[in-house]
Amino acid sequence: MTQDIIIIGGGPGGYVTAIRASQLGMKVTLVERSHLGGICLNWGCIPTKALLRSAEAYTMMKHAASYGLTVKDFGFDLKKIVERSRGVSAQLSAGVKHLMKKNKVEVIEGTAKLLGKCKVQVAKNDETTIELSAKHIVIATGARPRALPGLEPDGKLVWTYKEAMVPDTLPKSLLVIGSGAIGIEFASFYNALGVAVTVVEVMDRIMPVEDEEISAFARKALEKRGLKIITGAVVKKLDKAKDSVTATIEQGGKASQTTFDRVISAVGIVANIEEIGLENTKVVVEKGHIKVNEWSATDEAGVYAIGDVTAPPWLAHKASHEGIICVEKIAGVKDVHPLDLGNIPGCTYCTPQVASVGLTEAKAKAAGYDIRVGRFSFMGNGKAIAMGEPEGLVKTIFDAKTGALLGAHMVGAEVTEMIQGFTLGRTLETTEAELMHTVFPHPTISESMHEAVLDAYGRVVHM
Amino acid sequence: MPALQTTKDRIIASPLAKRLAAEKGLDLKLIQGTGPHGRIIRADVEEAATRPALSPTLSVVQPAPDTGAAYDAIPNSNMRKVIARRLTESKQTVPHFYLTVDCELDELLALRKKINEVADVRVSVNDFIIRAVALALKKVPQANASWTNEAILQYRHADISVAVATPTGLITPIVKAAETKLVAAISTEMKDLAARARDGKLRPDEFQGGGFTISNLGMFGIKDFAAIINPPQACILAIGAGEQRPVVKHGQLAVATVMSCTLSTDHRAVDGAVGAHFIKVFKETIEHPYAMVI
Repeated sequence: MTQDIIIIGGGPGGYVTAIRASQLGMKVTLVERSHLGGICLNWGCIPTKALLRSAEAYTMMKHAASYGLTVKDFGFDLKKIVERSRGVSAQLSAGVKHLMKKNKVEVIEGTAKLLGKCKVQVAKNDETTIELSAKHIVIATGARPRALPGLEPDGKLVWTYKEAMVPDTLPKSLLVIGSGAIGIEFASFYNALGVAVTVVEVMDRIMPVEDEEISAFARKALEKRGLKIITGAVVKKLDKAKDSVTATIEQGGKASQTTFDRVISAVGIVANIEEIGLENTKVVVEKGHIKVNEWSATDEAGVYAIGDVTAPPWLAHKASHEGIICVEKIAGVKDVHPLDLGNIPGCTYCTPQVASVGLTEAKAKAAGYDIRVGRFSFMGNGKAIAMGEPEGLVKTIFDAKTGALLGAHMVGAEVTEMIQGFTLGRTLETTEAELMHTVFPHPTISESMHEAVLDAYGRVVHM
Repeated sequence: MPALQTTKDRIIASPLAKRLAAEKGLDLKLIQGTGPHGRIIRADVEEAATRPALSPTLSVVQPAPDTGAAYDAIPNSNMRKVIARRLTESKQTVPHFYLTVDCELDELLALRKKINEVADVRVSVNDFIIRAVALALKKVPQANASWTNEAILQYRHADISVAVATPTGLITPIVKAAETKLVAAISTEMKDLAARARDGKLRPDEFQGGGFTISNLGMFGIKDFAAIINPPQACILAIGAGEQRPVVKHGQLAVATVMSCTLSTDHRAVDGAVGAHFIKVFKETIEHPYAMVI
């Protein structure tokens, strides 16, 4: 059987690539070993949003009185919170299955292995083995949690995101190692449900990829909610007891020991590059990830790689878009441009939320730009005050010379829904002038984006 | 109605690309866009800025590496690419038709000789042709037009683009409102425009726009040719060489100086009869040239 394209991996990278390839008239086969939608949809982005939604609603109930509401007798059922989250994943995974059918993508459940020369062997989940061939093969096998020596997850006391997603009971205390998006989101979720959470971060600040000011703002806000944050610190070892773990945490050369019920290890990812037959190809692996050019082509002709199995950022929407560009390039679509990493937004769904696109202030300066910075606090935004969400900040960074929007950074309620405004601006190559002349609806929190643009040019209105 | 605002004439560029181009003094019209639908994006401007091509005074040809190939690869300048894009678009999307007439030049040549004996400026046959086109457009304004989906734009003035060959490619400086100018004035203006075109010193407004184009290859001895329409204009007039040919007059064979001219016309905007009417008026003006000097 010869297809135009075989895609290995049915996560947000692989399945979106499959749909786009099909739209472009290709005959597509997708090989997925466990569940369509990948980690994102089944064990990542989506189910955590369901959990966090429950936590948010619970927090709102706690603050009901400040909205003039009376709530007698409220609480939560952990089992039902988890059930809801699993239900959301199941519903969406079924949705992806339907999309594959609608787009005439052949889905094979099994584990694929490259055989070289455009051939792929699939050990199907029904125990049979088949061989496929196609002119083009896209590797979209994704990644899995990284395990640091001495801190290896065991699934019982030391969790990865997978166990953290489906707790049977709530621990009383929890150590989260790593303050990237995954670590901070789980910390925020468990903290909201009343768990005593400690976050340990090796860098000197949390969410180290974010702008320093935003990261500091978020830290203060999270600490106000009861989170304990230790930065510039390393978890040296974990000593497991029957139902608890004692962590040795070293900060500034001083080690101390603290005991927690559970530990979540969220120290990054490793690419799934093993057992997929890379040795049968000329594909090159660099720093544990597959090396690709700007069109996602590997060093083996006809073999491509997208998403988490390649270089960062490791985000679902980066994977999807890389795949789209990759197959459009294969199909010879006119005027396709490589993905601009500066135009990929990043979102963290803790409370308050964090979202950003483009360069941080420090990175813009390091890149040699002469910059103009604008800031606007939610305190000056009518909608935020009305919603009882005055805690937030929007920061914009412009190239003083050309007016190009270099970066935008936000912390506060709803910012993950708003960042695409700045992302769209960047994609359309806006300058400050178009942003200033964009009419923002009143009253919305998005008006603070407008104000942060105006502020960069000394024209802020409500501050 | 503004002088000329068709979609084809509007430069589609991102805000940042526009600002960068202005800053670097680059003409967006000469930059090929690679964004969606040919939109000029930042990368295109940055790329253009690294090339000498956009400064028309400089030769764009860089020595090709000696690869032992059977050809030399001469990199395309942005101007070359723009010419390629616009003419391909024209030939592929504009329904051309062609009308050819022969014009006797003897009276015009005699008149030109007398004028050049007494006047300060030396006028050329081409200056008369520009004037004749301008007068013909005044009488047949339907030929001074552009097609758009919503309307046919009929220009109020005869802004005549005149094709000039330069070391980097073709450019068409414009004699504006030519119907208001006498031959001597057209001659002076044309000399200045052509010289500056060859030096790459035209301002954008001196070569962008225009309602009608003249392309003259007479000086190369070309007898007759059919030019590709210069969009969004509807007509282009191709001028061949004036040469002595046998003609029949009153049943007798005679010798006359004859010049063949071919009008290429966009049938969407100008019908056959209108084109024929225009070229008939043009022929009469050339053959009875005294009307041109009053």
